Amino acid sequence: MNCEVCQLKELEVEHFEIREVLRCILHTILFHRALGLVRPKDVDLELFEITYVQCGDVELEKKIDEKIDQFIDRVEKHPNKKNQICLSFYEEKKQAVWFTNRVERLYWEQWYINLNVAQQPKSHSGKSHYSKVVVDPGESALEERSHRRAALEASLREVLFQIIKFVNEKKDHVPPIPNLEGVSFLYEITIPSSSDSAFGMDMFKRMLQTGHPTMLS
Amino acid sequence: MDLQGNVQVEYGRFEQIVSQFLSKSLHIILDSRVPSIRPLGRSGDLLLSAPVKKSDKWFNLVLGDRPAANLNFYHRNLVEPMIIDIVLVQEVPDSSYEHRPTTTLGLGKYVETVLERWVVQYEYISTVFPQVGESSTSYKKTYKKSIILLRSLYSMMRLLPAYRAFRKLCLSTQASDFDINYKVSSFSVPYSREEEEVMKQYNFLPIDAPQGRLSISVTYRASLSDFNLETSTTFPPQIITDYVGSPATDPFRAFPSSEKGVGATSFPLRGEQSPSSTPFHRPHSWTCGLHRISPLTQPRGGSPPVHRTSTMPYDCLSPPTNTYGPRYQNSTNHRTTSFDEYQLSPPFSPSPPTYFSGGNPLKTRMHSETAPMSIPRSMMGRSPRYLSPNLSDPNRNSLPPFSPRSTKYDPSSQDSASGIRLSRKSGSFRAGEMNSGMTNHCSSQKVLRDSKDDSGRFSGVLSSSSSPRIGFSRSSSRLSFQDDLDDFDFLCPFIVDDVDTSDSHASQNLDGKKGSECTSQAFSSAKKSQDAAVGALVHMLRNAPPLRQDSSCYSSPSSKTELEGEVGAASGFFVSRKTSDALEELRGYKEMQDFLLSKSRTRVVGKEP
Repeated sequence: MNCEVCQLKELEVEHFEIREVLRCILHTILFHRALGLVRPKDVDLELFEITYVQCGDVELEKKIDEKIDQFIDRVEKHPNKKNQICLSFYEEKKQAVWFTNRVERLYWEQWYINLNVAQQPKSHSGKSHYSKVVVDPGESALEERSHRRAALEASLREVLFQIIKFVNEKKDHVPPIPNLEGVSFLYEITIPSSSDSAFGMDMFKRMLQTGHPTMLS
Repeated sequence: MDLQGNVQVEYGRFEQIVSQFLSKSLHIILDSRVPSIRPLGRSGDLLLSAPVKKSDKWFNLVLGDRPAANLNFYHRNLVEPMIIDIVLVQEVPDSSYEHRPTTTLGLGKYVETVLERWVVQYEYISTVFPQVGESSTSYKKTYKKSIILLRSLYSMMRLLPAYRAFRKLCLSTQASDFDINYKVSSFSVPYSREEEEVMKQYNFLPIDAPQGRLSISVTYRASLSDFNLETSTTFPPQIITDYVGSPATDPFRAFPSSEKGVGATSFPLRGEQSPSSTPFHRPHSWTCGLHRISPLTQPRGGSPPVHRTSTMPYDCLSPPTNTYGPRYQNSTNHRTTSFDEYQLSPPFSPSPPTYFSGGNPLKTRMHSETAPMSIPRSMMGRSPRYLSPNLSDPNRNSLPPFSPRSTKYDPSSQDSASGIRLSRKSGSFRAGEMNSGMTNHCSSQKVLRDSKDDSGRFSGVLSSSSSPRIGFSRSSSRLSFQDDLDDFDFLCPFIVDDVDTSDSHASQNLDGKKGSECTSQAFSSAKKSQDAAVGALVHMLRNAPPLRQDSSCYSSPSSKTELEGEVGAASGFFVSRKTSDALEELRGYKEMQDFLLSKSRTRVVGKEP
């Protein structure tokens, strides 16, 4: 079984938009992969004129919100421009290796959500090179913001279309559906480190210090 | 032959899958486009408490009751395509000579425009007769893939432009100038050239099926801006966070209501996009600092937990079988974190309603409710958490929940002091202040904070007397407060004044002190004016221990006989006692008075040189 990977189109978001955007995308993907019995729940975004669908699973909502919190923390602590969040679906196979039973994860699908977060001026006042400080938003700044917001809405819609397209085109790799309700496949949401090597080293140092993995959950 | 029999059975199942596929896709499309055919009372929420019908479990997508249109398609030939036209019907002025008053808005005529055309079909491709083994696994695969396809259809319905028009129509409470209708048939009228130019097409990837494939495709209008779709909604469902009723406004004025309650969309609350979304302003409005619970992302359906059964291998025909456990309603909000801060609780202090219940039944209005509610009388004397009438109101699901802080107060003191406290609040607790759903959070908080202080004071007073008769009676007697309303109002000033000073006296009495100290105070007050004496009398009456105690520790009510007449009025302040009890007490006080007068005479005599 091959692992299908989908890299979603990169989105330029501001800090306060991260939560909504991620919720929308993650729930949409999971709705298409929750092939057990679901009661679909329509959710309207506050910031955009977009309605997405949730599975209607409370546990799932909580998990997603937790992950988004972690992601936001990561973004705040490491104001690197490019951030990624990964949603993976896998199967567990037990393997007997050297007299021990090991549970192996076989990933059959991975989704990468790419976000380009504009820096918050208040949190990194002097350091960041990418800060967009808006001291006194005049008309042009407001126009720019609304323009940017409209562009993001269009991009987000494109991402949702992209998800639907991918889900439709790649169906053969989906394993048999277990007889469960809701999200019937095993999944995990991870926040991989960025490609920046300094960033990776920083993460490694943190791991040594804290003593527990902060990358995988 | 057995082999042929199996094949026929398998094919029969496949036919069932195709039939259900057509039916389900029709359900999804109509449910997301045509508001008029939706089952009544369904505002997008799925009834979680209702068990899922077997027919609804097909493709693992629970949608609720089917629209009536589905019935037409049960007898259709499965091979024929199902073409669903979503039609925009607009009323436009009729330029022709004939005047047709039969149109809804009386403008003239209707114009129909095809917004979307959906084609769902099973394309039959004649091939070699399939093997048995192949066919069974292929049906399962087909079913699995059709589950995915229908999910993406469901999502797509919400992404296409026509969904906006549908939502506008759903939100409009009055007649709008457009409507969305549908046509289902096996053939379609081809588009005109102009229409073709503005239409876009999207094809879902077809699913391989035995001897053919299942496909869904759509041609849709990319933009609806040409139609100027406006609804006449002036009060879209939204939470008015700064609403408060002022004394100038009519407290019983009906609130605008919408069928959908608060389960609304984000559209009305974005000022730049919806000009009709002006909130309902009242004069003297104030913000209570309550964060707006996002009604935007409030789910219109609950979230049942994932029911984990055994991981049996998937059976492609499992939907009709009942393998799922019962569901229960889970009233979570989309924003679970924000919802956790709120719990259902009485929107106002339980005491005032009980107080008013004897008098005019308090009609509270909640936002988005039109039916007035009267607070039942039987709330009196019960624990506060049962006192909210709204909890049982089935229409209340549209209301935002309230902070649990409003319920966190001492119920015992609440009960005991509520009668007395009510009089203070009688002026402020008018219906206007208790009408709004959201702002009651703060008003109730305020009230309860005040009442807590009051009850603290009052309970101090009461415990000093430790007489249930003096305080608020907890008896089950359903006394009418109507008669005593006037007394309460009249005696309000005294109560207010007395409360401030009663604490020290109450504590003194609690310590078991001295009739002598009270007596000296009584003598000093006797020299003041009559009004002050009345106040002092009331004060002392309230401090007085119960009749059943030793009469020697009674404090003096008064030293003046002119105040006897006032005693009746003061004892009338204690509502719940019977007249005979009051008279008895009065006799006791008279005796006290006589006794003390005699004592004072002897003292005066003793002091004279």
